[in-house]
Amino acid sequence: MTAWRDRDPTTKRLFFLAGLWLLVIVISSLLSPHFLQASTIPFLLQYVPIIGLLGIGQTLVILSGGPGIDLSVGAMLSLVGLAVGWLFTLGVDIYAACLLGIAFGAMLGAVNGVLINWIGIPSLMATLATLFAYSGLALALTGGTPIGGLPDHFTWLGQGQIWLIPNHFLLVFVPVAIILHIVLTYMRVGRHIYAAGNDERAAHLIGIRVRRLRTGLYMLSGVLAALAAIMNLSWFQAARPDAGIGMELLSVTVAVLGGTYIFGGQGRISGTVLAILIVTTLQVGLQLANVSQAWQLGVIGVLLIGSVGINTLLDRQSLGQSLGRNLGRLLGQTK
Amino acid sequence: MTSLSRFARGAQRELILVLAILMICALFASQSEFFLTERNLTTVLRRSVDLAIIGAGMTLVIMSGGIDVSVGGILAVSAIFIGRAFEADLPAPIVVIIGVSVGTLLGLMNGAICAKAKVPPIIATLGSMYVFIAVLYLVIGGTWISGLPDTLSFLTRGDVAGIPVGVFIIAAVYGFCWILLHRQPWGRHLCAIGNDEGAARLVGIPVDRVKMQAYALLGLLAGLAAVLYVARLRNVEVNIGTNVALEAIAATILGGANIRGGVGSLIGTLLGVIFIKLMQNGLVLIGVSSLWEGVVIGGLLVFVLSVDALQSRYRYGRSL
Repeated sequence: MTAWRDRDPTTKRLFFLAGLWLLVIVISSLLSPHFLQASTIPFLLQYVPIIGLLGIGQTLVILSGGPGIDLSVGAMLSLVGLAVGWLFTLGVDIYAACLLGIAFGAMLGAVNGVLINWIGIPSLMATLATLFAYSGLALALTGGTPIGGLPDHFTWLGQGQIWLIPNHFLLVFVPVAIILHIVLTYMRVGRHIYAAGNDERAAHLIGIRVRRLRTGLYMLSGVLAALAAIMNLSWFQAARPDAGIGMELLSVTVAVLGGTYIFGGQGRISGTVLAILIVTTLQVGLQLANVSQAWQLGVIGVLLIGSVGINTLLDRQSLGQSLGRNLGRLLGQTK
Repeated sequence: MTSLSRFARGAQRELILVLAILMICALFASQSEFFLTERNLTTVLRRSVDLAIIGAGMTLVIMSGGIDVSVGGILAVSAIFIGRAFEADLPAPIVVIIGVSVGTLLGLMNGAICAKAKVPPIIATLGSMYVFIAVLYLVIGGTWISGLPDTLSFLTRGDVAGIPVGVFIIAAVYGFCWILLHRQPWGRHLCAIGNDEGAARLVGIPVDRVKMQAYALLGLLAGLAAVLYVARLRNVEVNIGTNVALEAIAATILGGANIRGGVGSLIGTLLGVIFIKLMQNGLVLIGVSSLWEGVVIGGLLVFVLSVDALQSRYRYGRSL
């Protein structure tokens, strides 16, 4: 059994998150008698996949460094949802429209990737600008009215369940999370992402195509936003121009709360997934306890600041430890 | 080199902006005869005052290498306090002092989170934005604070010698910030921090303090903007301040500030504000739905940022 303080900081983070989740569950069940029931599970899981996919995309973008961030995920979600709904009203088959929507998401992400990696705009500004542009387009093209009238058979994805577990959770979110976790942990591309995030110069020198890699990750973020848009569409049966408002902040929150270092190179999918569960449990718990939605926002804000603050604190500790260790080694050698 | 061409190079961005403003003025004037009337332009001016004074503070924060996306929230929370103070029948000067000090405190809080807890400014201010919105909802819920007295309306509607009071407010704020930036050691410190924080720390600049002061100043100006907002509309509603942060950042970047810090221009920011406000006004006048605002500002930002990025790459070479 390794001692607690010698453990890898990201493993520590996972324990911390699991503890936090338990705490949230305990608090929620104290707040509301309706929380600790089997019927809460599908209710809770219903909310996870959409913010989950955005959060995972955000995690990968931040992880690859730069520093990278994608503030346009919510706007991409709105715009892709509208595009799919619009294609359907033109008479395109709904599933074909979904495929086109995913391609459209990849394209929107590629615009971000090119602006940031090839033209050289800082990611924060570039995606802030595309957040304006994409959500503005979504509003302007529809005049602010939602597109409805999707076919009933399309609801299976967002409203159907297998054994209390919503379909979009089981069939989209879980596979995507597992695949991306395997890619990130066991495959070469995953190592490249960590390398680029830790030291882009070194990664470049050993032959990793850093710009191409990062552009690809922005595209992936667009694709995941498109998938989220499709799930959203199937759930609500309508495409709203403001569907993704505020989701960019939430996705950054879960990525950072999950232990992703904001300047890249450190983080895990599993941490992000735990963070998503924490945030969703909190939302559902407060909702069941009939606490005003405003409190949810406030708590998420505090969580966001607190989670980075804790990261910095942990960082400083491990920095001090490694400094101490190396100094010790140095002194040992000189003796 | 003649001093004129040296001036032109130093103020390149400002000159481009002036040209751009003249161009859109010509464009809108040719499409709508109402655009270039005195009444319309004064309206634009009166509506620009809030954004202009927030833009001045945003310029300082961005020059220090930070950013504040929560100014809209600061404006909102200050406006709530102002509204409640009015409802409690406090005299106008006290109300103004309350609004401005609430803004300053919230800004200081942001600064402390960034400088002392070392949370990256974008994350810290995103988080505090959530908190401010929460406060806004909790205090006023779905209702408005309305029917406030018009004791302060001379600030937005009044004239002094035929010149709107707003002009004096803008002049005072920009003059103050200009002196801070160009005639005080503080401004040098701010630029140094924005250029290289580590080096600034090593030469003994009180980095944390200067940063916190910059955020506090922005908060103060947001509080002042809240006073003007309430003075103008005499109500406080839930949507208050939603776009202010993005517009202020856009104006600052248009005005030539570098988002990485160290570089910025107050005059440029002011011109950026004028440009954005004229654009919004003109688009509506020529019959483009105001829903296109986001697309226009976003597209404009992408364009300016791309030119900036390509230019600096040309100058300094590629990094990767």
